[in-house]
This record gives sequence, C-alpha cells and structure tokens, in this order.
Amino acid sequence: MRAALSIRDHTMSLPRPGALPAWLLPAAFVLLAGAAPWLSDYLLETGFRLLLLMTLAEAWNLMAGYAGMVSLGTASFFGVGAYVLVGLVNATGAPLPVAFLAAGLAGALMAVLLSRAVLRLRGLYFTVGTFAMSEALRLFMINYGGFGGASGWFLQVDPPQARGLYWLALGLFALTTLCMTVITRSRVSILLRAVRDDEDAAAQIGIKPFRIKLLAFVIASVLTSLAGALQGLKLGAIEPYGTFGMAWTVNVLSIVLIGGQGLRAGPVIGTLFIVALSEWLADYPALHLAFTGLVLIVVIRFAPKGIAGLLSQVFAKGARS
Amino acid sequence: MKRDDIVHAPLLQAEGLVKRYGGVIATDHVSLEIHRGDILGIIGPNGAGKSTLIGLLSGALVPSEGRIVFAGDDVTRRSAPDRARMGIGRTYQIPRPFLDMTVRENLLAAHYALHPRCRAAEAEAACQAILSRTGLADAAHLTGRALPLLRRKRLEVARALALKPRLLLLDEVGAGLVDAEVTELIELIQSLRDEVEAVIIIEHVLRVVRACCQRLLVVNFGKAFAQGPTDEVLASDEVAAVYLGTAHAPASAAPHAQAAPVPAAPPVPLDRLVTPALPGQGPLLELRHLNAGYGQAKVLNGLNLRVEAGHTVAVLGTNGAGKTTLANVLSGAIAPTAGEMRIAGQPVTGWAPHRIAALGMAQSMEGRRIFAPLTVEENLLLAAPGVPRGEVAARLEQVYGLFPDLAERRHRGGTSMSGGQQQMLAIGRALMRRPRLVVFDEISLGLAPVMMDRLYRALAELKRSGLTMLIVEQDVERALDLADEVHVMEHGRIALSGTARQLREDPRLRELYIGAETH
Repeated sequence: MRAALSIRDHTMSLPRPGALPAWLLPAAFVLLAGAAPWLSDYLLETGFRLLLLMTLAEAWNLMAGYAGMVSLGTASFFGVGAYVLVGLVNATGAPLPVAFLAAGLAGALMAVLLSRAVLRLRGLYFTVGTFAMSEALRLFMINYGGFGGASGWFLQVDPPQARGLYWLALGLFALTTLCMTVITRSRVSILLRAVRDDEDAAAQIGIKPFRIKLLAFVIASVLTSLAGALQGLKLGAIEPYGTFGMAWTVNVLSIVLIGGQGLRAGPVIGTLFIVALSEWLADYPALHLAFTGLVLIVVIRFAPKGIAGLLSQVFAKGARS
Repeated sequence: MKRDDIVHAPLLQAEGLVKRYGGVIATDHVSLEIHRGDILGIIGPNGAGKSTLIGLLSGALVPSEGRIVFAGDDVTRRSAPDRARMGIGRTYQIPRPFLDMTVRENLLAAHYALHPRCRAAEAEAACQAILSRTGLADAAHLTGRALPLLRRKRLEVARALALKPRLLLLDEVGAGLVDAEVTELIELIQSLRDEVEAVIIIEHVLRVVRACCQRLLVVNFGKAFAQGPTDEVLASDEVAAVYLGTAHAPASAAPHAQAAPVPAAPPVPLDRLVTPALPGQGPLLELRHLNAGYGQAKVLNGLNLRVEAGHTVAVLGTNGAGKTTLANVLSGAIAPTAGEMRIAGQPVTGWAPHRIAALGMAQSMEGRRIFAPLTVEENLLLAAPGVPRGEVAARLEQVYGLFPDLAERRHRGGTSMSGGQQQMLAIGRALMRRPRLVVFDEISLGLAPVMMDRLYRALAELKRSGLTMLIVEQDVERALDLADEVHVMEHGRIALSGTARQLREDPRLRELYIGAETH
C-alpha cells in the first residue's frame, strides 16, 4: 500500500489560521455605526477617510490580488462616480439613493464598454492600457467644456453633515466587505486565482478567462465609482484635476502593496498604516511622501506579501511551536 | 442510422492540419483519427511539431488550415474552454500548475469550471479520489509552487483528469521518471481505459509507448512520417534512422551500425574549449561529509565524493535522492550546511557561484536555462566575458565544430530551437569558459533517443580531449557506457560506488536505482 493513500488530510477540518468567528464582522460594523454620536469631528473625518480608502483598496485588491489585473485606472472610475452623482443631483434634483445607484451603474457600464479593449491585454499591457485610459479621460475632462471643463461643478444641494457622511462611508464599506467575503469564500475565488496564475492553463480546463475577469472588473468598478460618488458628495465641488487625478490611483496601489496584495486583510491593514502615517507626519508633507516611498521599497524587497503576509507568517510560526 | 454513424465514427478526426508561424511550418498537413478505446502514441524527434499538434487539438492554437471533428462536431473554430467542456483534456509538457493555489484547488478549479453549481462535498470527494490515484494525496495542501518538477507533472495529469475528459492528451508525462515510476505511470494510463474514451500520448520513454499504445504516429519536420501498429512502426528502419537512433535500433540493423562506427570522421579539435587534466594532479573535486538542503528539509546527508582529474564520473539515483541538490551545491547556488568542498585542493565551501566558476568549474544546468531573448551566438558569448576577441572566436569555432547544428542557427533565438539543440547550446555555453571540470546535469531529460546519441557522442569527444566530467544522469545505460566510475545516490548520500563494469554486474544497482517493483 502506498503511504500517501493512508495520510488523511487535516487542512480542511481545522479552521484556517486567522479565520474569525462569523458574528465578529457584523458586530464590528454595528459597533462602529452606533459609536458615531459620541465621536468627535476629527474622528468622524478620519473615519470617513479610512473607510473610503479601504473601499477603494478592497476593489483594487479584488482585481490585482485575486484576478491578476494590476490596474492604474482607479481614478477614472472614481471620477466618473463623482461626476454622475453631482451631475444628476444638480440636473434633476434626484434623491441621493438614486444618484448613488446611477453612479454605481455608470461604473459598471464603463467597465463593460472598456472590457473588450483592456481585458484582452495581459500583465503589464493591461496596466499600461488602464493608465492610458485614465490619463486620456482626465485630459478629456479638463479640456471638454460640457462637464464644467477645468473648473468643474458645484453641488447645488447641501452635503450631509460629517456624521451622515461617516454612516454612508460605513455602509459602503459594509457592502464592499460583503462582496469580498462572498467572492473570496466561494468557488469564484478559485476560478479567479486560476485565471490570475495562468490564463492559458485555466482555459484548457474549461474556465472562460474573459468572463471571470469581466466579473472582477465590473464589481471593482462599481465599488470604485460608489466611493467616488461619496467623495464628490462630501467635497461639494469637483474638478477633473482632483477627482480624476493619479493621486487616488497611486494611494490605493501603495496601500494594497504595503498591506498585502491578494490577502483578505491586506487593504484594511494597509489603509490603517498609511492613514496613521499621514496623520503622524501631517505637519511634514515632504517627509511623509519620502517615508511612504521608503516603506514601499522595503516592503516590496523584504515582504512581497505585505504586512498582512508578515503577520500571517508570524502567527503560523507561533501556532506551530 | 444517425446513431449508427456516431458509434462507428472516430471520436476525433483531424484532416490536413497546418500550422504556420510566419514562414515556418510547424505542422504540415497532418491527419489523424482516433476511435473509442484507442491509445495513440505520437513520437518523433525534438522539434518535430508534436506539442504543436497537441495545442491544435486542444484549442490552444488555431490551425492555419484543416479541420478537427470531435464526437461528430466540427470544433476547428471552438475555443479552448469550449473544447475542455466538450471533453478534451490536455497536459503541458512543461507543467503549468496554478502556482499560488494548493494542489487541491488546482483540481477544484477544473471541477468548478465544468460544474459551477455542484455540491462542495461532491467536488472535494471527486478531487480527493483523483489525488489519491495519482499519488498526490499527501501534497493536497501544498501550493503548486512548492512541488518539484516531477510532482508538477503528476499534477498536470491529475488536473486534466478532474475534467473527466473523453479524450486525454498527455504531453511527455514520462520524462525524467525512473523505471519504478514508469511502471506506475503505465498502470495509471491503463487504468484510465474504463473512464476515458481515448488517449493520445506524446512520449520519448519507449517503455510507455510499447506498453500502452496500439498505434503510433511518427512526426518528423511537422509531417506525418509513418503511422501504424506500434510493433511495426518501432521495427521499421526509417523510424530508427530519424528517431530511435542506435541504442534502440532493430536487431537486424545493429551489426550494420557497428560495422560503420560513427567516429569515422576525424576528431573535432577541442583544445580551446577544454583545460585538460595534468597527469598525477590528484582529485579535482572533493566533497567530504557534506550536508545541504532547503530550510527545514535536509537533502544531502553526509555525502562523500571524489573526482580524479581526467576521469569521467557518473552520479545516478532515483528522483528525490538528492542529485539536483548536489548539482546546486557544486555550482554554489546553495551553500552546504556542514562538511567540506574542495576544488583542486582549494577549500571552496560556501563560495559564491562566480568564484567557483573562476576556478575552472562549469555547469550544464538541468532544464538548460537558455536566455530566451538572446541568439545562439549571444548565449555563447555571454559565457566568456573578458576573454580576448581572437580567443573567443577560436572557442566559438570549436563549439560550432562540436555541434554543427548550432553553427547553422547561430543568429536564431536561443529558445527557438528544438530541445536537443538547446541542450547542445547549454553544453557549448559551459565550454566557452575553457573549464577543467564540467558538471552535466540531466542532459538527456526529455530528449529523443537519436538526440541523446548525438549528445553522448559529443561527451565522448570531450572525454577523449582530457576534460574531467561529472555526469548527473537519469539514463543508466548511457552513463555506464561513458563513465570511468559510477556512484549511486540514495537518501542524500552515496549508497554504491564502483567502476562502470563492476556496477553493470552488481545486483544492488538494480535494487537501489530501479527500485523493488514487486513490493
């Protein structure tokens, strides 16, 4: 008898290291929502920023970490979301839920329209393709007068108070977490990662890579556009340099790389790290950028799976000894 | 009547398949038919277009001409996923597992692609059964990246089986296996007959071909060269000439081959490529009580080995005995954890690869490691940095003299050549430094018999010119023919040593290397 046959596999019966009890996540959201009346303006403001960046980072991680599509197009979908919300509210006085829905749909529509062009590109070509699209759209928004041109638009209704915005951001992040949990715990995750690891081999076992990539692209785009809409609502004034700017893309990318690409906890840990760093060095903006760059280099060199990867290694070692 | 057609029609029928890459024709009007219950073997020299044919049948490549009918449907224009869902499963010659997924997930991906709504327990059970059957049950939770080459090959087969294919295309799954493993593979293929309707096997391991295939198709230069029952094809003189070479020549041809010995041509000058051993020089390479491994896994375990100057030493051993780790220690790619290594008396334990190379030791690495973006000549030039121009030209000349195939292709891309020619290039590259000692790691892996003949002929020339050689090899017969001394590795140390003549008659060689098949 071959020894291999008698070895029972234990990995399935044991909880995965780092797996949390199912009630913990909803409880955390309830707690965070319930705490809002007691939070100071500073905390509400910082909380909003954290939740917004986490949403963007989760969406980027779904594409880059799980589906292997490293996108530099975050700012495009973000900007489209912001413009659709502000434009729709200004033009028709639509209620906010309708405006958010429209922003999400616009993100999905744009993803589907672009998919034929960019999803055919692989690896670095996809990255460069999304970058080109992003820059083209930004320049178009600056130079075309139909959407307010370089000076942009003002929101003609009063934006919600800080507390309201915080709740909205929390709601959006809850939706994001739900999406990510469903996707990463289900068989879709296996199909996504198969396409990420080797698209040709995936096709040879019956997976249709285009469909799988489109799924990830559309979900990530909807979430990114919703985040953009929320930011547009908060600012009350949007212009192409800010909402379509590369800063959003670069921020999100460094968050996920530092946090841990392709890992479930990566975006959250990365956001906490980046935001804490920027608060800590808020008075030294130049130093802040240099320091973030340094951290990025160190992480890429010594911890390719980011902080989350390091932590899971440490826990795995602790569990063994 | 329609039903009758389906029963008697072939499962797969390919007519006049042509695949062109620019001006190069990789597949040239090949037609084949496979019926239910058939196991068809495809053999042919390296670079003959066998893998291209698999690519065309599986949908990875689109044919330039011709048509493919599978189970009554014209699938010529159908995509690879469509064909996989219809029941065509294939393996890759160079395994392509999903590297960052576990072995189980690799199989589940195939299962879920076909049955997106099946019950999870059902999918797990189906995959577990395949893993047990292919000997991968103990690796289910490892990532594809963690598997060594031969287990990746098993994973290729397992993943293709997870599709529950009707037609299975196996591309060189037997390469690199020792006899006991080949026996397991043959049993596996034969056990598939009940569930897979037909199998196409591309294979250089002739035992697999003989044991499994009723019919053979020989491909040469992209064309169907011969086709027929296995015994007839293997016995034909034409097939011997293009593929089988002298080692497997039919009995009638053998005396003829001996009557006209191959080195009738004047010996190739090799003095610019080889630093010959001096008489009475002592051992060129010495390993004492060497331990080495990767992280927690200890692979070499108190290994002792001496290579006298001017000798040819072969190291044999089963897969997992530590041969590749030994080669890695010798090149300096991994540092030993204990013990000592000396080159010509100089202690070099833990030295970096470039310093070891500077002492006159060169490697022809397993898997060839040709630089793909560079041409043949650039690959060679890269190995001789800082050598005066005239000397480089003289060395190039002699490499081309040893391997005329390379001279013809000097300006082509290094990896555009066939596997055997790439192996020639890897050997030529090792010689460009004019070494004293060359380590040849698995040079015959995955090569057609006729190509192995040519490579070993070149090695014999190098031996004659005084080069000290260490040959790490899977192919026992060829190693025994060439070597002065032979060592057999087991569990990270030398288990058996002697001259080639002694070992050939030693029953322990069979036991150690080939494994006790009856257990």
